[in-house]
Amino acid sequence: MSTRILPEFDLLAPQSVTEALDLLATYKDRVTVMAGGTDVLVAMKSRFRTETVMILSGISGMDYIEYDATAGLRIGALATVGQLLDHADVKKKYRALWEAADIFATPQLRNTATVVGNLLRASPAGDCSCAIYAIGGKLLLQSKTGRREVDVDDLWLSYGVTARMANELAVELLLPAVGKDTRTAFQRVTRVNEDLAKLNMAVRLDMSGKICKTARVAMGCVGPTPRRLTGIEGQLEGREITEAVLQKAADTVASEISPIDDIRSTAEYRRDVAGVFLRRTIQQACAGAR
Amino acid sequence: MSKHAITLIVNGDEYTLNVPANRTLLEALREDVGLTDAKYGCGTGECGACTVLVDGTRAINACLTLAVAMDGKEITTAAGLAMDGVLHPVQQAFADKAAVQCGYCTPGMVLKTISLLAQNANPTEQEIRKGLEGNICRCTGYAKIVDAVQQAARTMNAETPARRAAGGNA
Repeated sequence: MSTRILPEFDLLAPQSVTEALDLLATYKDRVTVMAGGTDVLVAMKSRFRTETVMILSGISGMDYIEYDATAGLRIGALATVGQLLDHADVKKKYRALWEAADIFATPQLRNTATVVGNLLRASPAGDCSCAIYAIGGKLLLQSKTGRREVDVDDLWLSYGVTARMANELAVELLLPAVGKDTRTAFQRVTRVNEDLAKLNMAVRLDMSGKICKTARVAMGCVGPTPRRLTGIEGQLEGREITEAVLQKAADTVASEISPIDDIRSTAEYRRDVAGVFLRRTIQQACAGAR
Repeated sequence: MSKHAITLIVNGDEYTLNVPANRTLLEALREDVGLTDAKYGCGTGECGACTVLVDGTRAINACLTLAVAMDGKEITTAAGLAMDGVLHPVQQAFADKAAVQCGYCTPGMVLKTISLLAQNANPTEQEIRKGLEGNICRCTGYAKIVDAVQQAARTMNAETPARRAAGGNA
């Protein structure tokens, strides 16, 4: 094990989606797909071993981020976290995702790590993953036999495991169009900014005047995958977000999560701060940031 | 293990290399090209000692990049910054402000500063600290590094109109 020299592997470098799909059909689960590589290469410098890696960097035209008022936000499989920060529509309309990107790792890693890769890593601590879970979205998976969409609600099966099948390539993430009454926010707890989260969370509130029509609340680092807190959502929906509503949400959130002790924090601390940050994140969304 | 023929354009010079699949960009620069200014620090993308610029001003960690993934790209290392023996304004500012202690983080700091100033010509102290958050100085000499970035910004902003007038590159 060395952080300087990678273990040996064979590398496949397709130049088109078609070529990549052919390789996936042949190699199936014997190949590790790599986009930015900031997770895969660190894992390989630690314990992870794979015989074959397929890099996608040679495929052109997959690094787009495009917003359309009807269709929503389309994020290509090779678009980086850093590209989110430079996109005016993301900053204005998908505030939680922009905020997650803004504190994601370091500038150098943001320039390499991809948004779709963050989802497929299926880590409970993924910052962009948490924001996307709250906003909602669909991942477009393509294989030689066709295409299908997987809702982000159904994407993570367990720690590190997604609904993507071995012969499928994730080609695009689609976030729904959002109106002026949609408000989102993201917050993260870390010791220093560069750390992975002790806890992260994101909310999406669709408002009608002062009333919250629908809510999506996502929290990370409190289970094996990012969690949706449907009990909290039920407390918010159909109500004005008053101090009493916030207080009840903060008081009851601990019963909806199952954090563990690990290298970054303790279960006890996570349960303690979950309510505090839930309240702050909802308040931040209500304060007008979308 | 597979081997791959790639071309890297490093500091303006073209290198044709035959690298094994597991060669990182950092190893290719240090072992194959022979430029040792990009440093191996943590190896996991946290310290920024290996920072290089891709296609002008995009800063990345060379330790977490496969050489093959950089086929055909233009790479800038700190060794490629001085022109005709004249230091780049960022290098000059780091020297003037003594923003160097052991020097190990300096090439990465200088390159990340160039990347930052390309995006934001007049960063505040807070923006400088955030822009350099992926570069760790083990000697903890951050105050002078921030001073140096501020001086470099002033120098480059003063130079830019003069260079434009002379028809040179800003």
